[in-house]
Amino acid sequence: MNKDEIKSKVNTVIQDVLRVKSEVIKPESRLKEDLGAESLDMVTLLMALEDTFKNSISDEDAAELTTVESIVSYISHRAEAN
Amino acid sequence: MNRVVITGVGPVTSIGCGVDSFWSAALQGKSNIQPIPDSWKSFHNFTSNIYSPLPVIDYTNFTISKVDQMQLDSSTLLALAATDLALQNAQIERTLENEKKNIWHLQNVDSYRSGVFIGTGIGGISTLINTQANHTLTPLKIRLGKNDLTKSESDSVVFQKVPGRFNPFSVAMIMPNATSSAIGIKYNLKGVNSTSCYACAAGTIAIGTAFQQIKNGVIDFAIAGGTEYLGDPFGGVFRAFDLAKTLVSNFECIETANRPFDKKRSGFLFSEGGAAVLVLESLEHALSRGATIIAEISAFHETFDAYNCMSLDPSGSEIVRLHTELLKSTAINPHEIQYINAHGTGTILNDETESSVIEKLYGKRVYVNSTKSLIGHTLGASGAIEAMVTALSIKHKTTHISKNCSDPVRNIAIVDKVESIDIQHAISQSFAFGGHNAALLFKEYLD
Repeated sequence: MNKDEIKSKVNTVIQDVLRVKSEVIKPESRLKEDLGAESLDMVTLLMALEDTFKNSISDEDAAELTTVESIVSYISHRAEAN
Repeated sequence: MNRVVITGVGPVTSIGCGVDSFWSAALQGKSNIQPIPDSWKSFHNFTSNIYSPLPVIDYTNFTISKVDQMQLDSSTLLALAATDLALQNAQIERTLENEKKNIWHLQNVDSYRSGVFIGTGIGGISTLINTQANHTLTPLKIRLGKNDLTKSESDSVVFQKVPGRFNPFSVAMIMPNATSSAIGIKYNLKGVNSTSCYACAAGTIAIGTAFQQIKNGVIDFAIAGGTEYLGDPFGGVFRAFDLAKTLVSNFECIETANRPFDKKRSGFLFSEGGAAVLVLESLEHALSRGATIIAEISAFHETFDAYNCMSLDPSGSEIVRLHTELLKSTAINPHEIQYINAHGTGTILNDETESSVIEKLYGKRVYVNSTKSLIGHTLGASGAIEAMVTALSIKHKTTHISKNCSDPVRNIAIVDKVESIDIQHAISQSFAFGGHNAALLFKEYLD
């Protein structure tokens, strides 16, 4: 899976979980401050990302995933490592 | 006192989802019976080896979001699907109020005069088993995975079946009141929100409780029913009932193994699960919105055996009293009842006791069938599914056969063919582990 495919899938997950429109999702968007994610949304988002990319995300790694770009980069690196 | 009517029904069962699909299958005497999954057999050598699985359900067809599916147990998802179907059947218009939270508004329904009443036997047991499997086996899986000597072990079925995650929503998924809560939140119904945990009588008691609340004028509108999901990756729930010697066994043919009220019965057919939801309204409320009325509920009663937690009182004395009080509450005589949808599990003791009471009180005057002869036993959902069948039988003036009852245990009128029956008054009854007995009395709706 290349980075564009990862980016597209991440955007879909964010749309499904946070119920935000595609056009408001930017690489620099902060999940909480810009996209309105509450704490339960963050938990759900991580579950949805794990389901979509078939990879578990540790609590330590999850704490670093604060923007859309940080998620895309994290998953891209995991994909390359595999 | 208000009259209480049924204006919508929504079934999700192993033989059909939605009233048209379900009723058509029921009248054709259809069942879905399969061998239990091979993976279950790798954990234990069971006495029983068949069950009735649910079809694959796409919950997004029932206004259930992907987020809902991650945060709710299957028993709740089944009930939400049944609620969606029941509201459609009742022709209640819904509008999406909050897209993020998937909250809907029901037109012509006053939130504060409405309630949710759901029965379940075991609540979110599937989630409990999955989370505990993850909790206990994941450390072992990791340890074995790092050790080449045990690679075959780490590839075994048990580890393949370990859920990859301990669901962070598990507390709110496991609790039995999760389902009534989820329905109340989704449709913003604030009047009463009640969960009935009475094993196999849960659905009947939930509907009975809703009936009483509307009858007494506490609320005007209710979503009432039952749900159960008993699937798990390891067959542990199946084992519990198998070990209790309650399941169908020693049969010649898979299609004829499940035979309530037959002399050759051996136990009940384990169902993976199911749900049914009924829309109940005061007659005034239903008429004011121009609803189509399926049938009327005229009475509800319950008794308790105080005998044994896992066995009916074989004397049937509390079932006799159940019927006596039920009929007395509306001044109906036994000869005015045309049809009884029986508990009819197919266990030796239940069918012996239940048929004895029916013979004693009604003789051969009433038609008797067991919906469990078609779909197996759905525990907390069964009473709701059977209440729905009773209402539909009144509406359509016919009912389904009691399948595989070729040699009835007693001289009672087991339904053996689909024919026109002038049903004006009918009873649906349930008996539960614990000792709970409950019955609903229905009647044809007449102006």
